[in-house]
Amino acid sequence: MAISRPAAPATRARRRSAGQPWPVILLFLAPALLLYLGFTIDPAFRTFYNSVHTIKPRGVEEFVGLAHFRELLTADPVFWKSVANTMIWAVAAPIPDVGIGLLLALCLYAKVPLARFFRVVWFTPVLLSYVVVGIIWMWVYNFEWGVANELLRWVGLSGLAHSWLGDPKTALWSVMFTHVWKWTGFNMVVCLAALYALPTEILEAASLDNCGWARRLVFIMIPIMWRTLLNLLILSFIGKMRVFDLVWIMTGGGPLWSTETVSTYVYKRAFEWNTFDLGYPSTIAALWFVVVLAFALSLSWLFRQRDRLEY
Amino acid sequence: MGFAGVARQTVLLTAVALYTALAGAPVLWVAMMSLRTTSEIAAAPFGWPSPAHWGKYWTVWTTSHYDTYFWNSTVIVAGAVAGLTLIGSMAAHALARYRFRGNRVIYFVLFSAIIFPPQLTIISLFQVLVEYGLFNTRLGVSLVYMAIQLPLTFYLLEGFFAQIPQDYFDAAKIDGCSELGMYWRLTVPIGMPAIATTVILNLIELWNEFLYAVVLVTDDDKRTLPLGIMRFLGDKLEDVGMIATGMMIAILPVILVYAFLSERLIRGMTASVLK
Amino acid sequence: MSAKRSLARGWLVRGAVAGALAVAIALPAAAETTITIWSHEADEPAKVAWREKAARNFEAKNPDVKVKITWYDKPALNAALRTALRAGQGPDIFYAEPDQVEYITNGFATPLDDLVNWNNIYDWARGVWTHNGKTYGLPQEAYTIELYYNKELMKKVGVTLPPSGQVGQAQFLDIVKKAAAAGITPISQGVGDRPYPGVYLSEEALLRRLGRDDYGKLLTGKLSYKDPRVVESLTFVKGLVDAGAYPKSFATLKLGESHYYFHTKPGSLMFPMGSFYTGRAFVPPDKGGQPEGFPLGVMQFPAMDKGACNQCKSLTIGASFILNAGSKNQKLAAGMLNEMATPDMGTLWLETILLQTAIKSDPSKVGGKYAEYFRELLDRNKDAQYFVGIPRDHIQGKCKDVFTQVLNNAFPGGLLTVDAAVDMLNQGCYTN
Repeated sequence: MAISRPAAPATRARRRSAGQPWPVILLFLAPALLLYLGFTIDPAFRTFYNSVHTIKPRGVEEFVGLAHFRELLTADPVFWKSVANTMIWAVAAPIPDVGIGLLLALCLYAKVPLARFFRVVWFTPVLLSYVVVGIIWMWVYNFEWGVANELLRWVGLSGLAHSWLGDPKTALWSVMFTHVWKWTGFNMVVCLAALYALPTEILEAASLDNCGWARRLVFIMIPIMWRTLLNLLILSFIGKMRVFDLVWIMTGGGPLWSTETVSTYVYKRAFEWNTFDLGYPSTIAALWFVVVLAFALSLSWLFRQRDRLEY
Repeated sequence: MGFAGVARQTVLLTAVALYTALAGAPVLWVAMMSLRTTSEIAAAPFGWPSPAHWGKYWTVWTTSHYDTYFWNSTVIVAGAVAGLTLIGSMAAHALARYRFRGNRVIYFVLFSAIIFPPQLTIISLFQVLVEYGLFNTRLGVSLVYMAIQLPLTFYLLEGFFAQIPQDYFDAAKIDGCSELGMYWRLTVPIGMPAIATTVILNLIELWNEFLYAVVLVTDDDKRTLPLGIMRFLGDKLEDVGMIATGMMIAILPVILVYAFLSERLIRGMTASVLK
Repeated sequence: MSAKRSLARGWLVRGAVAGALAVAIALPAAAETTITIWSHEADEPAKVAWREKAARNFEAKNPDVKVKITWYDKPALNAALRTALRAGQGPDIFYAEPDQVEYITNGFATPLDDLVNWNNIYDWARGVWTHNGKTYGLPQEAYTIELYYNKELMKKVGVTLPPSGQVGQAQFLDIVKKAAAAGITPISQGVGDRPYPGVYLSEEALLRRLGRDDYGKLLTGKLSYKDPRVVESLTFVKGLVDAGAYPKSFATLKLGESHYYFHTKPGSLMFPMGSFYTGRAFVPPDKGGQPEGFPLGVMQFPAMDKGACNQCKSLTIGASFILNAGSKNQKLAAGMLNEMATPDMGTLWLETILLQTAIKSDPSKVGGKYAEYFRELLDRNKDAQYFVGIPRDHIQGKCKDVFTQVLNNAFPGGLLTVDAAVDMLNQGCYTN
């Protein structure tokens, strides 16, 4: 073996297929599965159970079949608005999220001076809690003295100064911007790790062949890193489909539902509407779970197909 | 380096500088505010702290139960992250190394849990904890934290472990290495960059976790740090100065841990290249 | 293989320790009884002190009882209560507000008719918590919706208010325009973190225009928002909005910040707010209170042209406490509630919190620095006919959500025309 290349997916096919050491396998899996059974499966099942019931006063449960689903899909405009917002977010945000992360990683890889300093600074937003990030950016977006508007006024563009979080047209994009700000550093770190794992002899060979920076990037590095990038995109997508904390702190779903996401709507129905009924919010959660899962699986399958074809 | 090269370098450095400002300035702002009083901030939001009220850190630490919250957070999160790393890596190793029927099914089941919205499962989790007598305990919170971060941890580790060439393991097997040994002496060291990544990620998410902490703990002496910050945020005018100080106390440990761990991460990454 | 066995043993030990810990932690700590209370308003020192005092009084009277109050802020309290109550857990007593009827309809509140001494509580206050003939909560805080203003700034824009503090629609609009022209924000208000302040102007206008009966009908969905009186009132409010009455940051300004906006920086002319204003304003300036010597005045909301009841005002109950039906210490907890409803505590409330209360007490007893303010407040209320409850207390479900989004946020924020607002409100709330 010449060099380590933890990048080839073909290893799966060469695994042993007979004589599995079952006791050891179970030992490895048992803690995870136990934890999972106790703390994840149970709530999950209860959610699905709740979605076909209405919880009436005094804990009485009434089976309602698909009534909640029907109401959700035909008589709930807020739900559809939240779906639209969430989908916009989940489709638009992963691209800058991962893209900027990749670019930053490339900068570090290209041995920019003070790389270590930059790495820590660029990663710092990831370390902050949503409460902190939300508060800071609410101050930034503040109409009167926030940095965003002050900057605009300073360069003479005061006409563009906005109530960023108060205007339905800009609220969603403002919150999205903040969210990407927070997370792109994480993608940077993962891309950096992947870059370091690239097989150096291929890169050397390419540069010997007089292959320019850009072509090396597009035709060699990215294809080899593809699996990592894909994972990041899918993770980012799933994360955006579930986004809650930041929206909750910055806008609470307003103004006029322009930042309402499926998760914030679920929370409101479960905790803020004057009812203890868990049935309806469970319906939303159950439905959304299926939707996101379907997306994640199809994306995964779609890209892995391409992957497999190349080998 | 020709003209194109210089131009490229300039663009690169400008982009780097701009992004650094974007990423770092907000935190710097909070750091400055943490040393000023609220009235000073109201008068001039972007001013430099003069005088720098270092005493505020001490005030926050001693008067708002911050020391208790800090301790609770440390205990709960450290326990959860340790447990997660062990459990997650074992499960990831098992599914990445061994081929058996049901492998993909288990993978799918563990992975799909990522998608559930915590806002809803929190109620049943609460009931589960009550049934086990773990409600309002630090252990209970720790276990819940493990459960919620397990899918992601597992997913990231499995993806990485699966890419470790089988040849290493075949060679080790020939050398008489046990199954556990292969896990401990091969997967873990080689997979260190991924493990370190998940440790950092879990640390960040759990250190800052808020929703479950509010609901699953009612005793003030068991509360965690994020709740401490929320104390300043009440209804009335935010005590901006105190909030900033409180935030810095919450931020600094994470940054320090990251700074320390990231060195190992880079060392791990470069080491695996050289091997 | 020894490695495997030791690993397995490690797990057994770990499991045993965890189990032991769990049992140890779950065992009760002491033999004496503890009454637990979950309360909102963790950040209002006067209220914290008041309730803790009631707790200590109760402990003094009952030697082997301890009272433990856990302090939250509202959203956290709601989340914690919902989860706890659903699982059959929760404190003995918890904070609630009158619009939270779900505690009653789901059987979490013990009827207090025989457990509390109602002689000390105003009847109308008790009425707020009475449903189907039974009273389910102990009202504590009462407040009226007032229109505060800055006396100095009012002089500065050249307006002299009549002694009664009452002006008409046209005059009010004029005041707003004068302030805007002088570069002063006419009305401070913010809906960044609360679902009700934006409605103040609209609700007071509607109340005065419609009178109590029709206003009540409107809120319960029996009167259409397309009623010409409703449209006229909302058109008046829109006129104010278009004249630049509210701050540009209205949508994101928080409640506490709106207070600050009014009395400190940048300073506005008027400030509609519940009389719980004092809880935030009458504290030292570096805690967010108003500056020393701030020229606080109290005026009336504008009288509506053709108004059916221009003497009408909104009065409502705020902080209240419910006795958890699942509590194992019903009698003791009821005793604690009674401790919070004595005349002495009522007077203490007025003196230290400077806010009305549901406990029968005499506001003229309040002395000290803020006596002048209290006298003016009482004066403005002496001929008032009250409508009990702000809109939130009377609407539920989907209507509440739409109402909040429209009348609290979008309409005063200038994002909706009167017609659009009326349509959305009818869709969400009108049940005929």
